[in-house]
Amino acid sequence: MQPAMCSGKLQTGLLVAGYFVYLLVGAAVFQALERTAEKQEKIAAAQMKEAFLQSFTHLTVAEMEQFMKVTIQNGVYPVGNESQTEDSNWDFSNSFFFAGTVVSTIGYGTLHPKTAGGQIFCVFFALFGIPLNIVFLHRVGKMLSLLCKKLGKFLYEKGMRKKKIKFLTLLFFLATGILVFLCLPSLFFQITEGWSYSEGIYFAFITLSTIGFGDYVVGKQPDRIYFSYYRTLVAIWILFGLAWIALLFNLLTTVLEDTEKIIVKDLHQIGKCFRKNAEEGHGRACWFYLDFAACKKSCLFQELTCTSFYEALHNTFGRRNKGI
Amino acid sequence: MLQSLAGSSCVRLVEQHRSAWCFALLVLGYLLYLVFGAVVFSSVELPYEDLLRQELGKLKQRFLEEHACLSEQQLEQFLMRVLEASNYGVSVLSNASGNWNWDFTSSLFFASTVLSPRGYGHTVPLSDGGKAFCIIYSVIGIPFTLLFLTAVVQRIIVYVTRRPVLYFHIRWGFSKQVVAIIHAIVLGFITVSCFFLIPAAIFSVLEDDWNFLESFYFCFISLSTIGLGDYVPGEGYNQKFRELYKIGITCYLLLGLIAMLVVLETFCELHELKKFRKLFYVKKDKEEDQVHIMEHDQLSFSSISDQAASMKDDQKANEPFVTSQSPTSNDSSLNN
Repeated sequence: MQPAMCSGKLQTGLLVAGYFVYLLVGAAVFQALERTAEKQEKIAAAQMKEAFLQSFTHLTVAEMEQFMKVTIQNGVYPVGNESQTEDSNWDFSNSFFFAGTVVSTIGYGTLHPKTAGGQIFCVFFALFGIPLNIVFLHRVGKMLSLLCKKLGKFLYEKGMRKKKIKFLTLLFFLATGILVFLCLPSLFFQITEGWSYSEGIYFAFITLSTIGFGDYVVGKQPDRIYFSYYRTLVAIWILFGLAWIALLFNLLTTVLEDTEKIIVKDLHQIGKCFRKNAEEGHGRACWFYLDFAACKKSCLFQELTCTSFYEALHNTFGRRNKGI
Repeated sequence: MLQSLAGSSCVRLVEQHRSAWCFALLVLGYLLYLVFGAVVFSSVELPYEDLLRQELGKLKQRFLEEHACLSEQQLEQFLMRVLEASNYGVSVLSNASGNWNWDFTSSLFFASTVLSPRGYGHTVPLSDGGKAFCIIYSVIGIPFTLLFLTAVVQRIIVYVTRRPVLYFHIRWGFSKQVVAIIHAIVLGFITVSCFFLIPAAIFSVLEDDWNFLESFYFCFISLSTIGLGDYVPGEGYNQKFRELYKIGITCYLLLGLIAMLVVLETFCELHELKKFRKLFYVKKDKEEDQVHIMEHDQLSFSSISDQAASMKDDQKANEPFVTSQSPTSNDSSLNN
């Protein structure tokens, strides 16, 4: 027990250290990539300001800065003619969209409550809404994985090996997901929003991973007309996409976890098995258990492959291995 | 024999339908909740926005009148450019030019907001390379974060919850349920005060124009990983010790997230909540001798998927819907 615990602590320590290293490396790379772009942007903005001031020489810097500060800080787009002021940022459909981004924790931030009452309500709304959202997404995710289960069963009936089924279902899940949730919507956004294809992919990914910077938001271009259920469609896409991404991240986490656990567990089992084998001579049962334990631990879709695997085992070995 | 078979299939049918009814109720409840939120936000914020728009309109009119040589179109072009730059985090005001968004500590802060997916949006990658790297970085980084958080929370839970509960259960002789509930509530209070109230007080002092409510609002929005980005600390003009401040905030947010997950896990281990949760999950058709192994698999898969989904979470004592399950299955496999 002691060596296992020590190695567990070592593992955690390595994991923590690795995580911090990952953060530091990311910071360094972001800095390298973005610093120059930011400098250029600042220079361009300063030049534009200079040019503007020069063409209107009686405008003092202080006055203009005062004016700009108010407009920037308040985030209300003061540009535009009178007809635009009829569309509010807080009409029902926009508020619904905001409520959805809060509850799914995407949180774009282009729209945010400014009154104290709005902020307090936002806190309580999120408090109950986020767990509700989690339960909801979990259920939707289960529905998605049922599709893959059916595929796995179909393939198994064709007589494929378990590992191949596992690999193929994972590939299928990944490929169709990327197609349906990332590629196709990006094409759609290219048409409706006028973004480039890579910007569409960037937006799709940032939204579905719930990072939600808010630099790209749907339905916010002032000079475009959107068809009436545009935002509802986008909301449905976000919902299913979130469930898919959550399952995807799970898989990756399980792969990371299980790869090390398989190795450890199998080594333990082999050790135990050889001892047991020597004592009792139950060779076949032991190897069967080893195979089963390894498969169980390496299951990516534990509900999928282990059910079908167990059924197969039960059919073939059920009557023979009573001791298991 | 036939009766029991028929009985069991009837029960299964009812249970299947019960699960379906529960799901329908869940969908309806979710939509109603969103509608309710929309109505309240709209009614609270709309009047204020109206006022603001009118104010800004008047300000713009006055500005144009005072400087008659300025045409409206020219001003609008200028403002559009300025607002666009401001959305990317670049400010054109002269006293803000000292703040860089991409020095090392700010990049570190940015990286941490990407990985614990908050994404404030006060700084965003401007270059194409930055955007592409952001995607790749988070595809690897977010599962890494999940793994990291799961491992750390599991270790901490043993010392913070399981051992004390066991200790008090043995020492004082109360039932395990009662001790667990009391412990959970006390832990919740301690976490709220340490990670919400005290940091909110600190932020309201350190940030110039944040009052206590706004600081608390910031803490909540950040620790629940919503990350709206309307309040971001360390962005004030001429912030002293900006680098150290940013690093401190990064550490606080990371620790806060871990603390949230620990509290959530503690609450999920309460027996009553487990029963309540099972209402919403699909009941599997299982034969008798498959029960134990299926339970094991189901628990471990859904515990990981729940912990993944519950990266967004909260801390209140009386929340009705909690989902992440205790990693008892992982524990038992460790003890094997």
